[in-house]
Amino acid sequence: MKIGVVNISIGNVGSVLEAFRFLRHDAVAVSDPTMLEGCDLLALAGVGNYSTAMGKLTTLGFAAELDRLVKAGTPLLGICLGMQLFADQGFEDGVTKGFGWLPGTVEKISSTRAKIPHMGWNTVNPVRPELFEGIENSTFYFMHSYHFLAANPEDVIATVTYDDTKLVAAVKRDNVYGVQFHPEKSQGDGLRFLKNLLESIA
Amino acid sequence: MIAKRIIPLFLLKGGRLVKGTQFSGPFVDVGDPLSQAMIYDAQGAEEIAMVDIEATSQGRCIDAGVINAMIRKCRLPISAGGGISTLAQANACFAAGADKIIVNTGAVANPEFVRQLAREFGAQSIVASVDFRRHGEALVPYTNSGTTRLDRDLAPLLQELVEAGAGEIILTSIDREGTLSGPDLEVYASLTAKLPVPLIASGGIGSYDDMVDLFRQSDCSACALGKMLVLRDYDIVRIKAYLTGRKIPVRDA
Repeated sequence: MKIGVVNISIGNVGSVLEAFRFLRHDAVAVSDPTMLEGCDLLALAGVGNYSTAMGKLTTLGFAAELDRLVKAGTPLLGICLGMQLFADQGFEDGVTKGFGWLPGTVEKISSTRAKIPHMGWNTVNPVRPELFEGIENSTFYFMHSYHFLAANPEDVIATVTYDDTKLVAAVKRDNVYGVQFHPEKSQGDGLRFLKNLLESIA
Repeated sequence: MIAKRIIPLFLLKGGRLVKGTQFSGPFVDVGDPLSQAMIYDAQGAEEIAMVDIEATSQGRCIDAGVINAMIRKCRLPISAGGGISTLAQANACFAAGADKIIVNTGAVANPEFVRQLAREFGAQSIVASVDFRRHGEALVPYTNSGTTRLDRDLAPLLQELVEAGAGEIILTSIDREGTLSGPDLEVYASLTAKLPVPLIASGGIGSYDDMVDLFRQSDCSACALGKMLVLRDYDIVRIKAYLTGRKIPVRDA
């Protein structure tokens, strides 16, 4: 399977490429949006700032091309900030319009007691189990201060509880997949999740 | 439930891992960074933190090549630092694959730098590393690998770094570092209660029970391990088995 990983220097493209290559797929870093066409899976990874990332995607021509391909049915995986960009709007550093593929907003985690960012390994609770089959401990690595508030509960396929707050851990609608955690950084469970995803779209 | 993190802390010197005591030599060679990282990844460490301890004094920053080699072979988060004092240097570390960057002297001397980093890369990617010594009752921060004393108190400095956008703090007791004599529990217990971001305790941890005490008596999110791992007969698997038996929430891996 050919996997195109969007490369606009907003985070750790290298780890995502290596995880897919470990699973013996052909993963390439794509720096030119016209090269996304023809990939079997697109991946949008990123950490960083919502408005900075959306600005770069728009300026470099990725935003329009990703929107076109996703609407044409190409599977896409968003990781961390990449998943948050699916929302209608993000509230980090002002208000930024997202892709709007999944209705909802991205807001700062509000917890009175817990440390922010939500940082480290936490247990993910699947709501729809298909992508989590065969996963041993279901612990994944998180690093985020903002979270996705889904307007449509059916889009949420897994949650995670941080202190007293339930957060969205994974979303799916049609060909659009998103994870708040970092599967490429989550050792065995992370690789298994990616394998399940690749098998489900194969 | 979020697990307490066990983080091997790698000190890089001349491309090799080393370990000293209280920030001073003699530095013992403790191996190759890549092979050691692969071992701790396989054992189920939560993260690896790596700092080039010569970079600041040599006026450069940590080599991106070593970061890149590590992220190619390991499936766990890597934070890296040493000498980072410009946005371009931070960007080079992220481009090489670092998940987080560790800033010490460059940030402590100039918290405004943390603000710039957080705006560009997000607070969750910025770890402020602060070293301190006890002078009687006072807790005094130091920069430049423990050689430069700052004329201010530790607690307000940490608050200022968090306010500027540090997403996490590694707080190292220079007095305890490399001594295996136990962490400065009192400091971590009092400071973590005041900080809204995760705190990583570093310096002095030398036994299983040091970790039990740390996680029972303070709200630290993680502990950094040095000498205990690299020069004593401990490993991550046995550490976690012990902590699980003492009801400390750690991750099965």
